[in-house]
Amino acid sequence: MAQTLFILGLNHRTAPVAVRERLAYSEEDIPRTLSRIRERLGSVTEVAILSTCNRVEVVGVAADPAKAFDELSAFIASDRGVPQAAFAEALYRMQGREAARHLFRVGASLDSMVVGEPQILGQLKLAYAQAAKSGAVGLVLHRAFHKAFSTAKRIRKSTLIGHGAVSVSSAAVTLARQIFDKLSDKTVMLMGAGKMAELTARQLKAIGIESLLITSRTFDNAVALARELGGTAVPFDNCKPYLKIADVVIGSLSVTRPVFGPEEFEAIIRERRYKPMFLIDLGVPRNFDQRLNAIENLYLYDIDDLGKVVDESRAEREKEADKAEEIVEQELEAFERWMAGLDLVPTIKDIRYSIERLRDLELGRNRGWIATLEPAERERVELLTRSLTNKLLHRILLGLRQGGNSQADKIYAAEVARRLLCGDFDLDDSDFDSLEDDEIES
Amino acid sequence: METFWLIPAMACYLLSAILFISDRVSGKERAAGWAIVILGAGAILHAMDLAARGLQAGNIPVANFAESLSFLAWVTALASLVLIVRLRMAVIGAYAAPAVAVALGVSSAMARGGRITLPAPLQSVWLPIHVSLAIVGYAMFVLAASVSLVYLAYESRLKAKRPLGHNTERMPSLEKLDRINYSLLVWGFLMLSAAIITGAIWADATWGHFWSWEPKESWSLVIWVLYAALLESRLTVGWRGRRAAELTIVVFAVLVTSFVGVSLIFPGKHGGTFG
Repeated sequence: MAQTLFILGLNHRTAPVAVRERLAYSEEDIPRTLSRIRERLGSVTEVAILSTCNRVEVVGVAADPAKAFDELSAFIASDRGVPQAAFAEALYRMQGREAARHLFRVGASLDSMVVGEPQILGQLKLAYAQAAKSGAVGLVLHRAFHKAFSTAKRIRKSTLIGHGAVSVSSAAVTLARQIFDKLSDKTVMLMGAGKMAELTARQLKAIGIESLLITSRTFDNAVALARELGGTAVPFDNCKPYLKIADVVIGSLSVTRPVFGPEEFEAIIRERRYKPMFLIDLGVPRNFDQRLNAIENLYLYDIDDLGKVVDESRAEREKEADKAEEIVEQELEAFERWMAGLDLVPTIKDIRYSIERLRDLELGRNRGWIATLEPAERERVELLTRSLTNKLLHRILLGLRQGGNSQADKIYAAEVARRLLCGDFDLDDSDFDSLEDDEIES
Repeated sequence: METFWLIPAMACYLLSAILFISDRVSGKERAAGWAIVILGAGAILHAMDLAARGLQAGNIPVANFAESLSFLAWVTALASLVLIVRLRMAVIGAYAAPAVAVALGVSSAMARGGRITLPAPLQSVWLPIHVSLAIVGYAMFVLAASVSLVYLAYESRLKAKRPLGHNTERMPSLEKLDRINYSLLVWGFLMLSAAIITGAIWADATWGHFWSWEPKESWSLVIWVLYAALLESRLTVGWRGRRAAELTIVVFAVLVTSFVGVSLIFPGKHGGTFG
């Protein structure tokens, strides 16, 4: 019976986090779970588990996927102590081409919440490595996972799916990089200690900005955050002199009107000798006067401006995703061909055996007169018959591999060929091993 | 004099300009690698042409405006290759490569047939020194103007809040462009100063006086003062960024118009040469 790739799982689209968190497997749980599945579930021949914050998926191989789905759902329910009814609705069950497509799309980050995010490929590689180490990976999963990895790699290389900022804080970081070259000698100043401001400051530190000033209406908050992030707290009432040494200013104060006007910033820029300044306004109402953007070498982005940047790069990623989907389909085609070849192997072996057997029978029947021939002529008879059977076999193999487009067609053709060619022979198993396999493997 | 090398060199410059521009327009660096190689090939072919002319003249080939312009185009091509490869800023090619192609094109269109020889008083060891300094200086100014154009394009996008071509990692930052612009101006200014000084020494040796206020000399001085002011404003007031880029382009425009005008309309002692 043919082995089929399958996936049983749920993700951020089909299940809320409340369900996902109850089913999620920790990294340490997975090897044990894999061996339990292999011990208890007869229907599953190969298996791997991918568990991230956005998805829990069992990737496997089974002769009867329907049965595997039922057994696995029941297994997960008892293993995680969650009633099947709680997650049955959210489960997707895929097999064959559909399952392979899903695996490739997950690896290429096409199924991610943020398309093109890079973590998922690493998580998929980990899932494979764990399964391989537990001995749960066979021929099909090995091939499927590696094909998923190479597809993801090809997509990363030939599309821009991973480019552009997709969050407000990363948009701010990208912009800072477009304005400033050397980051180590730059200073960031946080005005207000909002969550988003803190996140942005962390990211700016991560790309190399070393100096950090923090001011807040409540000085204690500034001190606490300064300690946490490794910066210097500055009293709010006396923060103006510090602005002129700040290259990036992140505003998240709650104010009713902008704290400083254009005149003040014009003076600051002059004092800075026109060194560029990047103001990031995360406050609502806004912390900085919009007219500041008109000041020479000063760049002001408010939350909507950053949002627009994010929207644009998301749209750009979606466009790139279309190209990526095409690549997935191409790779899928190659994988399917390989899977189809896998199914033909036993049939081809049988047909080959039958034809060889036919030739042996004929030669045996004519043994008498062949023995009377000169050695050179005997050899020619050998050659003639062998070349005849080889050519016949070759034609049949070619026909089977190319005949029909779908896998179903190929399997049907193989079945017909087997009946026609192998039906009436009395097969003797002892001869089977002596046959050469190279034609079959190719 | 036409040489065999010039047409393929011109073809290379044009092709590389097209490739650089197509990358600039699409915002991706697809053709940059080829554009660099082809620009390099153009520079090599162009060098063959200059060498052939130089051997014939027995000195560097700068006998008239057309030849000087061709020499300038070649130096600019070399300098932009250095800039593009060392600083990984293929985007400069979108401005520098077309400038090179145009300069060589104008030069070829103006070249009259026949053998050109320098007048006897100009045959001197000072010729290669004075002219090379001037031409390297001008090449720096061409590149400074190219970098400034890139700066202005990027800066206006950032101001207008539509930043980020999609491939942002490859884009040079404003700060970097500004710094490169500054270094190019400094080097160009130093070269121009040296060219003026060597020119004066040479004039003294040949005609017995350092300075004769001929049109070329006067305009060189004007240009020198303009670049000096440009650098001074950065050092004292701190004018940089957008204003520095705009001024770089304005001064360069003055340079081009004055020198083209002077060379063609009032040739003077420089005999219509560029340097």
